[in-house]
Amino acid sequence: MSEARMDTLPPEENRRRLEALARIWDNAPGWRGQLTAVNHGTVGLRFIATGFAFLLAGGALSMFIRLQLAWPGNQVLDPERYAQFVTLHGTTMMFLFAVPIMEGFAMYLLPKMLGARDLPFPRLGAFGYWCYLFGGLFLYSGLLFGEAPDGGWFMYVPLTDATYSPGRGVDFWLIGVTFAEIAAVTAAVELIVMILLCRAPGMDIRRMPLFAWAMLVTAFMIAFGFPPLILGSILLEIQRAFGFVFFDVARGGDPLLWQHLFWLFGHPEVYIIFLPAAGVVSMVVATFARRPIVGYLWIVLALVTTGFLSFGLWVHHMFAVGIPLLALAFFSAASMAVAIPTGIQVFAWLATLWAGRPWLRVPMLYLVGFFITFVGGGLTGVMVALVPFDWQVHDTHFVVAHLHYVLIGGLMFPMFAGLYYWLPLASGRMPSESLSRTAFWMVFTGFHLTFLPMHLTGLLGMTRRAYSYPEQLGVHWLNLLSTAAGFVLAAGTIAILVDAALCFRHGRPGRRNPWRAGTLEWALSHPVPAYNFASLPVVADRYPLWRDRGLAARTMEADGLLGDPSSGRRESLGTSILGGVPEQVIRLSGSSWQPLLCALTIAVLLACFIAGFYLGSALMLVVLLGQFCTWAWTTGDRHAPATVQAGPRLELPVQYACRNAPGWWALVVSLLIDGSLFASLVFAYFYLWLGTDAWPPAPMHAGAGAGAWAALALLGVCWIASATSARLMRRGGGRALALPLGVAALAGAGFLWMQWRAVASGTGAPGEHAYASVVWTLAGFHAVHVAVAMVVGLFVAARGQRGYVGVERPLEQRIAAALWAYVAAQGVMAWGVIHLFPEWA
Amino acid sequence: MAGFARPSTLVGIAAPMAVWALHFVVLYSLQGLTCGEGWNPRSSFWAMVALTIPALAVIAWLGLRALRTARAAASGEPAARRARFAAQATGLCAVLAAVAVLFTVVPVLLLPVCS
Ligand SMILES: [Cu+2]
Repeated sequence: MSEARMDTLPPEENRRRLEALARIWDNAPGWRGQLTAVNHGTVGLRFIATGFAFLLAGGALSMFIRLQLAWPGNQVLDPERYAQFVTLHGTTMMFLFAVPIMEGFAMYLLPKMLGARDLPFPRLGAFGYWCYLFGGLFLYSGLLFGEAPDGGWFMYVPLTDATYSPGRGVDFWLIGVTFAEIAAVTAAVELIVMILLCRAPGMDIRRMPLFAWAMLVTAFMIAFGFPPLILGSILLEIQRAFGFVFFDVARGGDPLLWQHLFWLFGHPEVYIIFLPAAGVVSMVVATFARRPIVGYLWIVLALVTTGFLSFGLWVHHMFAVGIPLLALAFFSAASMAVAIPTGIQVFAWLATLWAGRPWLRVPMLYLVGFFITFVGGGLTGVMVALVPFDWQVHDTHFVVAHLHYVLIGGLMFPMFAGLYYWLPLASGRMPSESLSRTAFWMVFTGFHLTFLPMHLTGLLGMTRRAYSYPEQLGVHWLNLLSTAAGFVLAAGTIAILVDAALCFRHGRPGRRNPWRAGTLEWALSHPVPAYNFASLPVVADRYPLWRDRGLAARTMEADGLLGDPSSGRRESLGTSILGGVPEQVIRLSGSSWQPLLCALTIAVLLACFIAGFYLGSALMLVVLLGQFCTWAWTTGDRHAPATVQAGPRLELPVQYACRNAPGWWALVVSLLIDGSLFASLVFAYFYLWLGTDAWPPAPMHAGAGAGAWAALALLGVCWIASATSARLMRRGGGRALALPLGVAALAGAGFLWMQWRAVASGTGAPGEHAYASVVWTLAGFHAVHVAVAMVVGLFVAARGQRGYVGVERPLEQRIAAALWAYVAAQGVMAWGVIHLFPEWA
Repeated sequence: MAGFARPSTLVGIAAPMAVWALHFVVLYSLQGLTCGEGWNPRSSFWAMVALTIPALAVIAWLGLRALRTARAAASGEPAARRARFAAQATGLCAVLAAVAVLFTVVPVLLLPVCS
């Protein structure tokens, strides 16, 4: 597409516009501004800084672990503390460091890289950050009460149920991690919508930077992979708190259910961590080979197929639990298949370096470390994917070594490469070459000397998770070496972080685009303005800066797309999913207290819950609901014009009228996530059914009686009423929404009553048997959805009264109707499982 | 179904792997049900083999259709080049999906259903 620009803007008018843009986009001054900031740059950097803080915390724990293992019979930690530290170390690294840090990178970089002003839902991103921070602190606060979790980062039952872990440690884990996970899920929604809809004009799917492709696949994997873990945590927590049974064999439960739910998340997790890192590698390799990446198409293929295949691997963590051979073979096969796309990516990177003129600067140095380490981890990975070999080394330090090679090789080295690569962008300064090289060599040698010996100690029979080992094993010299090298690794990591922090203050001021990279984020000026681009760039190549030398300068002139800030609002551009054709002007929200307040309320709610003060929790739930409604009420703009002049010759609709509105896609993605949660619950139901003889057990019977059929009919009324809302609105405007959405809410209330009666009469108390527990949970899960749909429907009806929703702003009506349709469909399935299945099971 | 998962869309690119995932889940569940519920292992073996044929057929169909789209879209229009790119990605994914399905089936041929 041709670029629409005005002839030239008078310099004073240009300056006036830049000042106005800065005023609109900057955070408020002072500490108040820090607490209310929602800008993606601020939030992204916060994610990264907090992630590194947790890296240090988790690393400190591992140093205690290494000290304890340095020599047989050491007494640095008692066994109980040791178990707590191992648990917290793993949990911190997985949930509080690896995933959030990559999300931080993505949140900081993607709008800049894709040529946008901000993420589509700034407040949601800020909310996710606070949840992450409070969740992490919540987890660690267990230590203050001497109640740290000690069940391992995978929290296997029955070790973690109320009988064997009566303290509050496990509750701190389950609640804290789930709280922090909110950030992962909200980031998934935000990043998917960002990548699909908010790219620069002309950036079609062939021109998306590979980091964006990687994050797109990763975000979808989070959407499907995290719900099983979240569900598992919820099930375990309600078993612990309310005496439900899911994992207790004596009453029809099955501890293996936990393992399935956990690893259904746990293996994709490895790739959720690795794919963004691979995306970073693809960006850095192209820049330092000084040529476009070789095999762009192949890398896209590899990313997509890895995303799928990694879900076929979960049971490979359970090879030793006595699953039939054939089932094991399925997972073994998938584990081998996933090596194909990973190999393709590695070859594409090597080919790029081969074909280019590589330039060995610090980021590239870290990539060399990545290649060496990751290939090593991959090799042992194929070894453990072979079932017989896995039986041999299962639960030994061989596995510890393998997983650290994969995770540190596959995540840490690329991440440090990315850190050094983008540091000049974020800080406007260059990191110290000598310090960063020294730090690299410390990390590299420290790492290999720590973990290479562990392959050997594992093969010699040193078991993992045990707090000591017998001297007769003859592995104490190897362990001493590991410990000593571990401290070198830790010192190197600290050096890197100090280097990065110092760079912001004392680095040598760098020029713009110091690596001569080709992607859009390097078009930004220093210091990076909060609005990113004064006029949004138009793209015609995969590496726009290499092709179009004037592009960077033009983005600083406020005479192009959205350069005119006269609306006084934060605006960004929405483009079509495949083609990157401008479709809409997206109005974004500015600084707000809502994200912080909502996260605080959740923190208080959870604190009340863990203290057993359920009334307080219920109270906070009401407060939270009110807060969310206030938050939602401040979205939208009833005075927004139908169309906006986006550029000199470009008039576009505002998002509330656009078919591809970000809010619509956010709903679609949220429902995908929710569907995955629901599917996990249905899986749990059938898994438990498969493990028991009598289903439902003798006195219980939840059949399809008259009450159950009446409930189903009421659900149908909900759906029909909400489905007609569009037609009524087209005829009578926003005010006409009250009738259909009111009827739907009434029918929803009726459904809840009928369904509750039907389940209560058929199954009895939930704690009696796993059957009753899972049926109550399924019914309760769906009941929450009905309640939410009722609230949303009534909310939208009220908005219709006040003129926020109407024929020319149909977005909210579409969302309410689609939500009801989803809830009804989910209800039909839940109903079938609860009431029909026992009839013939 | 008209136009669903065309090879020139994002859903289209993911479609062959989705077939693999479906095939994988069905076989895994079938295996679990056979052993858990005491169904006849022989018929379950044949069911697994039989299910593989439509899975491979659908993948082949998706792949061939993508190939046709890629050929037809060779002209210089940006939209056509974009369609061609997506179709090529779909085709490559189809190849890998077929390999992955075969990877899943080989153990079915070699191992007893329950043991
Ligand atoms: Cu795994």
